[in-house]
Amino acid sequence: MVKEGTVGPAEAIILLAISNMARIFQPYPRSLVELCGSAAWLAPLGGLAVAFTGVYVLSLVLKKRPGSTIIEITEQACGPVIGIALNLVTVVFFMFVCSLFIREFSEALIIAALPSTPLSVISSSYLIVGLLGAYLGIEALARTARLTYLYILGGIAVLLLALIPQWNINELFPLLGMGPLNVFGLGTYSTAAVTEIIFAAVIVQTFGGAENFGRIGSRSMLIGFIFLMALMATTVMTLGRNASSEATLPFYNLSRDIYLGRFFQRVEALFVIIWSIVGGLKIAMTLYGASVALARTLKLPDYRPLIWPLGLAVFVTSLLPPDLPLAIKLDMEFLRPLALLPNYLIPPLILAAWWYKGRGKRAGG
Amino acid sequence: MNILKTLLEVISYRENLNREGFVLKETKDDQKDKPAEDKKTTSPQSGKRSFKKPVRPAEINRDEHLPDNSSVSASLRENKKIIEKLYGLPDNKDIIVRDLVIGTKVPVDCFCVFIDGITDKTLQDLLFQSLMAFADEPAPADKGKLAGVVKDALLPGNQVKIVSGFQDILDAVNYGDTALFLEGCAEVVLVETKGWEHRGIERPTTEQIVRGPQEGFSETIRANTALLRKSIKSEKLTTEFMVVGTRGKKTVAIMYLRDLANPDLVAEVKKRIENIKTDYIADSGVLEEFIEDNPYSLNPTVLATERPDRVAANIIEGRVAVLIDGSPFALVMPTTMYEMLHTGEEMYHRWQFGSFIRWMRALAFLLSLLLPGFYLAVVLFHQEMIPTELLLAIAGNREKVPFPSVVEVLLMEFSFELIREAGLRIPGVMGSTIGIVGALILGQAAVQANIVSPILVIIVAVTGLSSFAIPYYSLSFTLRIYRFIYIALGATLGFFGISMGIFAQVALTANLKSFGVPYLAPTGPKTMGGPDIVTRLPAFFHEKRPDYVNPQDITRQPRVSRGWLRRKGGEKNG
Repeated sequence: MVKEGTVGPAEAIILLAISNMARIFQPYPRSLVELCGSAAWLAPLGGLAVAFTGVYVLSLVLKKRPGSTIIEITEQACGPVIGIALNLVTVVFFMFVCSLFIREFSEALIIAALPSTPLSVISSSYLIVGLLGAYLGIEALARTARLTYLYILGGIAVLLLALIPQWNINELFPLLGMGPLNVFGLGTYSTAAVTEIIFAAVIVQTFGGAENFGRIGSRSMLIGFIFLMALMATTVMTLGRNASSEATLPFYNLSRDIYLGRFFQRVEALFVIIWSIVGGLKIAMTLYGASVALARTLKLPDYRPLIWPLGLAVFVTSLLPPDLPLAIKLDMEFLRPLALLPNYLIPPLILAAWWYKGRGKRAGG
Repeated sequence: MNILKTLLEVISYRENLNREGFVLKETKDDQKDKPAEDKKTTSPQSGKRSFKKPVRPAEINRDEHLPDNSSVSASLRENKKIIEKLYGLPDNKDIIVRDLVIGTKVPVDCFCVFIDGITDKTLQDLLFQSLMAFADEPAPADKGKLAGVVKDALLPGNQVKIVSGFQDILDAVNYGDTALFLEGCAEVVLVETKGWEHRGIERPTTEQIVRGPQEGFSETIRANTALLRKSIKSEKLTTEFMVVGTRGKKTVAIMYLRDLANPDLVAEVKKRIENIKTDYIADSGVLEEFIEDNPYSLNPTVLATERPDRVAANIIEGRVAVLIDGSPFALVMPTTMYEMLHTGEEMYHRWQFGSFIRWMRALAFLLSLLLPGFYLAVVLFHQEMIPTELLLAIAGNREKVPFPSVVEVLLMEFSFELIREAGLRIPGVMGSTIGIVGALILGQAAVQANIVSPILVIIVAVTGLSSFAIPYYSLSFTLRIYRFIYIALGATLGFFGISMGIFAQVALTANLKSFGVPYLAPTGPKTMGGPDIVTRLPAFFHEKRPDYVNPQDITRQPRVSRGWLRRKGGEKNG
């Protein structure tokens, strides 16, 4: 049995919330504006509702075996062959998230702060901190999140509030932007796909098991989505919907626009610190998730021997896309549909399997 | 003839047969440890690594002359022979063996053993007077009971005990006691006559404060335990003694409040100290390395302080203090990083002043760690952050400097470290004078010679001052070393590098533990820390002891600790 340590509820909420909001630093908000126009800030509402449903379904699954994680439960419900195959989907999902985050964060840093630095140097740095964080374990990651969250969330709040003088509220109209289908249909799909609630189900035993899952999962989703909505609204109001849909990194563009007098301007480099720490946390968490999920699937006593091989695989994969546009395309067209599998499709499947098994037993009885 | 012979000796050549002079040859023990290179050919298993069974330190250091605390004989002559052998007499000159006759009605031959210089001469005079001049009791018929009679009726010493094992005698005599061997008695009377030259109670040298007790620990363990007893007048305060070291034995005192400290914590501290296998522990710093959780981390995880009031305050919170003979520092465990940024003095000032000082210190902590790295990151990678006027000023000053910024920073940082170290080593008043003069002259000269820019002198000076504002020397040292890492990160990857450094450092530090307590408690993990982390709220709000110490009694005072605010009926005054 993999030993993971213990994490307090507050730490777990913060860790998962930071994980959920990591995408706001990436090109993701741009695609949302492109999809929903001036109503980009409303799109996360549908995603939040879906995420809450996902948390509820997962909590039902986890309550079937209160002492186990989603990995063991999947195998118990679906049998060893299908169970292991489904668990491997989760592992692959974490690895792809990690890989694409390394690539997108590295590319974003090249655009924002280090134009002359080779991609491999930045990616290697992310890999090193990811390996370190995953090796130290969930306790260290949760404490790091707990110790840095004030700076991260405070920094984002300062960024958003510092742009108040440049807000143009008219940019939020028309209220439904590109139409309700785009906002509440495609927008919901797009925002729900980036939640990664499955990570909470993998580490569920570290924060008190199934009974805390619903509370912690839903609160972390709420924080993550509130920040996403706030960022989307600020982006549209500050940059305008046309410029927002053209900016590769809306967060970076916003930080460049801060002007609070002659001395306090062009402070985007300060936000690089927040940006990098969130990136480091996210990469370490997903690498940790992949290692722990695989160790549990293979019934290994320790996850740490897997960190280096998985880390190397993730690093190599992150270098495969030849440029940022292709990485973004992979994210949109491959990762988001893949995300639906472990987050929203496998849990109902497990519930159905339990129900089917139970029906069989009842019929046999 | 002699002159001729001398002359010939001067001008003639003779080979120097004793060319090497004195050579310190290897001992048997050294040869045992040598790799078996020359045995390769003879051993049938020369390809394999030979397995060597580890030897316990106690076995290495076992005194061959003294089989397991052998007992004293009834024969005075025999005992004397053994003592002479054990102490290497007569070569060992500060061991005194004094023959005397006890002036009882039937005189009894005896001898005393003590070490000159670590015994109190006044106490010894009293001892000899009592035995030789004022002993008018009749000697007991059974000489075997003589030690008991001497202890009960003849000796006025406040700590007298009877032992029969030589190891006990040696331990006591080595620690300043006097052993009295009696003819016909197979027991020895040990009289406490400890008394050696020592430093008195003085002001702490590394933890000076403005308000609060000005006493510091000294090198004498008994004086240190007494200082703590003086602070905590409680029958629950427990002092346990242990001996550490096989060759040079050091007394270690463990002090805690019996009804407050967590028994598991006390047991863990005792277990770690008991299980130290070494020949000698010179100071509390060495003991700290032996017992701390993470000796490979740069961060200290045990608090060392020379102020009794601070140790007392920690004991009152349920912690355990460890004192070692010969060290003016007490170790306190468990501790957290936040406590290393406290001095205790904040509690003696008004709470607003204490809080202000702590926030200043928190700023100093960040500046000391990050300022040079930040400067390099801004200058090399993020110039757009600097307002135009400042940028022009910096560029203008740097124009004549031939070195890259990172060389400039490293040059100044190393110079500063050198001045600091030299100032510490140069004796007396000269040290600080040279430190200040060195810094001023060096900085001024470096700027005039266009080796460094003036802004960098300011950066390094502010960093240095911030470093001095960290109250705990070990933590300040940690920051000094980490600072160089941040300089490297800032110079190579700008803010991104610094962020990666911060992430790694926070994760590594959050992973540390001090005797089972997370090092960054009560913030990482979040526990109920009380109103005393950075902001120090008024004393009457300190209702609970720190939760992470897990004391037996968490409540320090009731919710309404200022009872005078309540009227007799229970209503609030005023």
